[in-house]
Amino acid sequence: MNPVRITGGCQCGAVRYALHTEIEGAHLCHCRMCQKQFGSYFAPWGSVPREKFELTRGTLAIFQSSLRAERGFCRNCGTPLTFGYIDGDGTISVSLGSLDHPERVVPRQQNSTEARLPWFAVLPDLPGRTTAEWGAGYERQLEDIRASSRQHPDHDTSSWTPHPSSAR
Amino acid sequence: MTDRRMPEGPFSGGCQCGAIRFHATRLRGNPHVCYCRMCQKATGNLFAALVGVRHEHLTWTRGRPAEFMSSDVAARGFCPNCGTSLYYRAASGPHVSLSIGAFDEPHRIALWYQMGLEGKHPSLMRLESVEEVGTTEANEKPEDIDRIRNSNHQHPDHDTETWMPHRAVLP
Repeated sequence: MNPVRITGGCQCGAVRYALHTEIEGAHLCHCRMCQKQFGSYFAPWGSVPREKFELTRGTLAIFQSSLRAERGFCRNCGTPLTFGYIDGDGTISVSLGSLDHPERVVPRQQNSTEARLPWFAVLPDLPGRTTAEWGAGYERQLEDIRASSRQHPDHDTSSWTPHPSSAR
Repeated sequence: MTDRRMPEGPFSGGCQCGAIRFHATRLRGNPHVCYCRMCQKATGNLFAALVGVRHEHLTWTRGRPAEFMSSDVAARGFCPNCGTSLYYRAASGPHVSLSIGAFDEPHRIALWYQMGLEGKHPSLMRLESVEEVGTTEANEKPEDIDRIRNSNHQHPDHDTETWMPHRAVLP
């Protein structure tokens, strides 16, 4: 059997990681601290033992959102990547959207529901369009995005030069 | 059904650490989530939740976001100290799409639609089926919650006269 290797990273590709075991405890955290860091409705997390988490490219920037928690992100593009308790249980969580294949991990639980936004419940029922449907009549712009995308692909690369942001 | 009236401004918001703060006087009628893989990867999330504001209705009241040009067409703003995803912006567009979760009162902004459905995984179609395991209080020991509260480095959900963002450890 092949050893488990689950990969992911930030948008610009400056930070890449590999997980050497299956992800456990995939969940959505609605707490206001996760909301605010992600600028979103919730943060999706899944965890592995720290020794199974390997940074394969670059270095995490670390913001201590309190003396208990460290949040890792990409210094160049901002993508939120990791969460860990400082005196924790030896695990580290990765943001599920930063996985190369987030669709392979199903969130099973919701935490910190006290801060869950009222619009969460309507999400599955909102009217929706694909990018192609939305871009009807704007095919050239969509092609410009495809042709000039600086997003790292959803797989490891042997070499990669991240497009520099204004952060440094 | 979603509420099709937009709330009245002004609005305030900012990043987790408080280095970047903004005011918006008026929002566009387009609160939405985008599941496209570029929004997912930029925000490390399953979608980006965004609402538009015209440039003339937006003021950065503290600090300035860093920008990553995710393509020639679009820039994504974030806090260089804490990473918070703050906006998506078409390079030549008349407006900025702010992250709804970065607003101080995100519950005031009702969603109208969803897009980028090609990136929406079937598991996300049934959000109500994701088991609820309770509140922060129910899941954490009181002493652990106190440690977070007493050392919280997150900016409060309102404007502040002065604020010293907790410094990140940057590579």
